[in-house]
Amino acid sequence: MTAPSWLTGTFAVMMLAVAGYCVVRLGMAWRWRRATELDTDGVHTVMGVAMAGMLMAGLRTLPAGVWAAVFGMSAGWFGWQAVRARRGVQAGPWRCSHPLPHVVESLAMLYMLLAMHRSLIAGAAAAMESGRAMPAAGDHLSVLALALAVYSVGYVVWLGDRLTGPPGAAAISLGLAGGAGLGSLAPRSSACCKIAMGVTMGYMLILMV
Amino acid sequence: MAATICRSAAGSPRAAGPGAAGPVAAVPAAGGWVGAGPRRRLQLVLAGIWLLDAILQFQSAMFTRAFAQMVAGSAAGNPALLARPIGWSADLIGQHVVAANAVFAGIQLALGLGIAWRPATRIALGASVAWALAVWWLGEGFGGILTGAAGPIDGAPGPAVLCALLAVLLWPSRRARPAAFAAGRAVGTRAARALWLLLWASLAYFALQPVVRAPRAISATVSGMAAGQPHWLAALGNCGAALLAGHGLLVSALLAAAFAVVAAGPYLPPRWSRGILAGAVGLAAIIWLGQGLGGILTGSGTDPDSAPLLALLALAYWPQPAPATAGDGMAQ
Repeated sequence: MTAPSWLTGTFAVMMLAVAGYCVVRLGMAWRWRRATELDTDGVHTVMGVAMAGMLMAGLRTLPAGVWAAVFGMSAGWFGWQAVRARRGVQAGPWRCSHPLPHVVESLAMLYMLLAMHRSLIAGAAAAMESGRAMPAAGDHLSVLALALAVYSVGYVVWLGDRLTGPPGAAAISLGLAGGAGLGSLAPRSSACCKIAMGVTMGYMLILMV
Repeated sequence: MAATICRSAAGSPRAAGPGAAGPVAAVPAAGGWVGAGPRRRLQLVLAGIWLLDAILQFQSAMFTRAFAQMVAGSAAGNPALLARPIGWSADLIGQHVVAANAVFAGIQLALGLGIAWRPATRIALGASVAWALAVWWLGEGFGGILTGAAGPIDGAPGPAVLCALLAVLLWPSRRARPAAFAAGRAVGTRAARALWLLLWASLAYFALQPVVRAPRAISATVSGMAAGQPHWLAALGNCGAALLAGHGLLVSALLAAAFAVVAAGPYLPPRWSRGILAGAVGLAAIIWLGQGLGGILTGSGTDPDSAPLLALLALAYWPQPAPATAGDGMAQ
């Protein structure tokens, strides 16, 4: 029951590339005064690094507890943004205007960290990087992993449908900051990063079902 | 993609075509992106199913010889002429299981992303028909319909052929025909209704086959699906199997009657049709439980099985408030 290490390695490298790209985006947005979603790019940077570490033991950087705290805070932040959006408060040019998917992503990260932690306690260390199917945090919670995976897939499809059109139109359809003024920084590249992250997250969650 | 008007932010028309202002034409959003209409939404669900299939295909178990054995097993009971290529493909997969599975998963990933990405929707849907038919033969053994032992709970007529059927019915044709439901726009109302009738009548026939209507056949199928499932789903399956045990003929007859009623759905007035199609979605949900959710919680399921696709088909036949023409939200 082993998946080839090149597969998890490929996903890990892809996540590191996404994280690196998000850092570059933040730098470019600051340098060129172009609008980007600071909160989304920021959380995707840390998410990419954390996911790479989950996929390959050699890429682990921080303890699971630290990551759990980070993603707990990000879930809280995007949850608050979602509440504000529901109340009709307009997101600023530097904030995500579609926060709900990032709430779910952050919760999925918390779920995976919990599942891996339990798996490690049970003596199934390095299960993910060897590609072995890991038991979820509990029998009932495997449905939660599946639901989160289905949500990831749905988000990927939603993004893919909105990739069409010139950058300005794409920015608007994707709900990205600065779209109306054509000031958004590479909206389709940003969406492609989210697609890559959604596919990888779906893969990791399915391994935990 | 040349039917619906899609004007860029800069003001240049991206594409235009006939029927852009149909009754269900989606409203262009600011900046020119056109929201998804009923058919486009169904295409996106199909894209999601292909993506889920791809992710399931990436599971650890698929990179082992168990995958080749699963493919080889689908040859059993099929006519020799049709079964032989299944054996060949299983041998080939067995020799290069890692590469073969990676290619299969990659193709399904590309199909899902391609259907979702508007400029590639047509080519991806076309490719999905070819791929699904190949999988139906070489991977599913025609869903077992030639073996005389395939029942609706077993997934007959096969998830792959239902994916192919959906791709045809949801095809974003340049000259969309007026139809009372999304599935009729590409092939026309009459052909779409005939395909629906053929599908559900064949399901009724499969339910009444001697092997399927045997006293303990459906019960054994349901309890067999419980193996490897999470505790709650296994308990549900075993409970259902115990209830059905010994009542194979009655259950088969009830299923066949329900399928026959559903088959008539699109031929009835919209009010009746909606009720029957809602019933079809409910029936598909029950069948899906009987299928153990396609085994996707076991770590070895390759797809969610036929029931979700039957539900999606039912939604594709859902009567629209006004005759559906073009402009389903896709720049086509």
